[in-house]
Amino acid sequence: MRREVQQEELLRVPVHMKLHYRFPAGAHYERFFKEMKETGRIMGVRCPECRRVLVPPRPVCGECFARTEEWVQVGPKGTVVAYTSICFSFIDLTTGKPRPIPYGAGLIQLDGAYSAINHILEEGDPGKLYIGMRVEAVLKEKREGNIGDILYFKGIEE
Amino acid sequence: MGKRAAIIGTGQTNHCSSREDVNEMELVYEAATAALKDAEMTIKDIDAVVLANMELFEGRALPDMWCGEGAGAFMKHAFKISTGGTSGTSGAISGYYHVASGLFDRVMVVGFEKHSEGDASGGMALTDPFWDRHIAAAAIGNFALSVSAYMADRGVTEEQSAKVAVKARRNACNNPHAHLQMPDLTVKEVLESPILAYPVHRLEMCPQSDGACAIIFASEEIAKKRCPRPAWVRAAVTRHDHIYLGEVKNRLSTMRSLREAAKAAYEIVGIKEPLKEFDVAEIYDPLTYAEIAWYEALGFCKDGEGGMLIDGGVTQMDGELPVNPSGGVISTNPVGASGTIRVAEGALQIHGRGGKRQVPDVNLALVTGYGVYCWSDVLILSSKPY
Repeated sequence: MRREVQQEELLRVPVHMKLHYRFPAGAHYERFFKEMKETGRIMGVRCPECRRVLVPPRPVCGECFARTEEWVQVGPKGTVVAYTSICFSFIDLTTGKPRPIPYGAGLIQLDGAYSAINHILEEGDPGKLYIGMRVEAVLKEKREGNIGDILYFKGIEE
Repeated sequence: MGKRAAIIGTGQTNHCSSREDVNEMELVYEAATAALKDAEMTIKDIDAVVLANMELFEGRALPDMWCGEGAGAFMKHAFKISTGGTSGTSGAISGYYHVASGLFDRVMVVGFEKHSEGDASGGMALTDPFWDRHIAAAAIGNFALSVSAYMADRGVTEEQSAKVAVKARRNACNNPHAHLQMPDLTVKEVLESPILAYPVHRLEMCPQSDGACAIIFASEEIAKKRCPRPAWVRAAVTRHDHIYLGEVKNRLSTMRSLREAAKAAYEIVGIKEPLKEFDVAEIYDPLTYAEIAWYEALGFCKDGEGGMLIDGGVTQMDGELPVNPSGGVISTNPVGASGTIRVAEGALQIHGRGGKRQVPDVNLALVTGYGVYCWSDVLILSSKPY
């Protein structure tokens, strides 16, 4: 049962933490991010058994439990398979600050890839977004070796 | 098959947006003592304790250490299950496995969450450091993406979605434990609530709640002795899908993990026509559109007909298969407890202790859990042990 107390009487202990972590990327993410940083190419890996091209790349195909080793270039063009426009504010964990809203987000199936990737869309107006829309990755000039090297996907005419 | 096991008692806190009058251990204690009272047991009767929680939301590691004593875990066989949204149903499945193994006779499962203590969208994004942390848009954004594809694929309308919200919040009025109780909510009000992420409105999304829920599982001999109408666990199935959102094609339309889990569970019990055979369903509906998608994945109707079920009132309290008499996750969402609540509500209906939300003559109840991008749990509870 709820304790009968006034809100202002309650003791609350606020905690603010600054924590530090280092995550080894592993061979597959290392290759992916290095390639993106140095050449701007987006790479996937093909499963030797089911032949699906996985992006993000990873060392094991979940469906086949097989090691993946064959690298293939995908994108940078692709197709929007799902979209939204984010209108609520939440913390961007790479900066610790709220991300400016509204902004477009989508699942983009890069040409040559089986899986789609979630990323930011340049177009934020849901009335102008549609499934099947063709887009292309826009990369940072000075790339750092993380997925943020893709700034967003912009609509293209083909 | 394991040994027979049944749920003989359940207990819940009253769920709400903030239980600042208690800490998490006190919250757990409230649910645990309520379940023991319901089962007419004391903590001395319990052999093992399973805790379920989404620990990153409160930013506190080892919740089993901080809250375990509140669940009576001291000097008992005890551990924690943490699988995102499915934590609560997976915890319950673990409790069932304990008894079904024959190694334990009386097991208490407690699911709990205090959303008000932390940052849920931060907790969500703390999963994958390489990819999702940069670009994921919390649960709402990720769902909104799937909704756009689902609407295009199956032609579900905004009005049908809003009807699910109205059903849930009205049902919640019959549940004294429910967080969002809105007796007069209308479709118009749902669709006029602010858009969080296109096309999802605020009133179509689950809230963030503080709350805990406990369930007591017992072996056949004990269940028959202690409970006039035990809720027998006839099937419990878990399925996990891929890591990344974009790898599950048309997530809401396909919902492979739920389809596979339901298929396996239906086979165990011999369910052929779920809409006709189940008397009640408590399904994990993180947002309105998901409930309609789950109707299809659970075989209540053909693909593309989910919206017609809500239009036709089939899943209302007086319909052929009442879905979520409790108000569901859309009305109450203390994540680590949300799945446990589904199981408890399914069991309550069989016990006949549902109060104003009781569906008449429940013999077979379907319960589901949903977690991460695409994990599913399915349980089937019955008034009959076989």
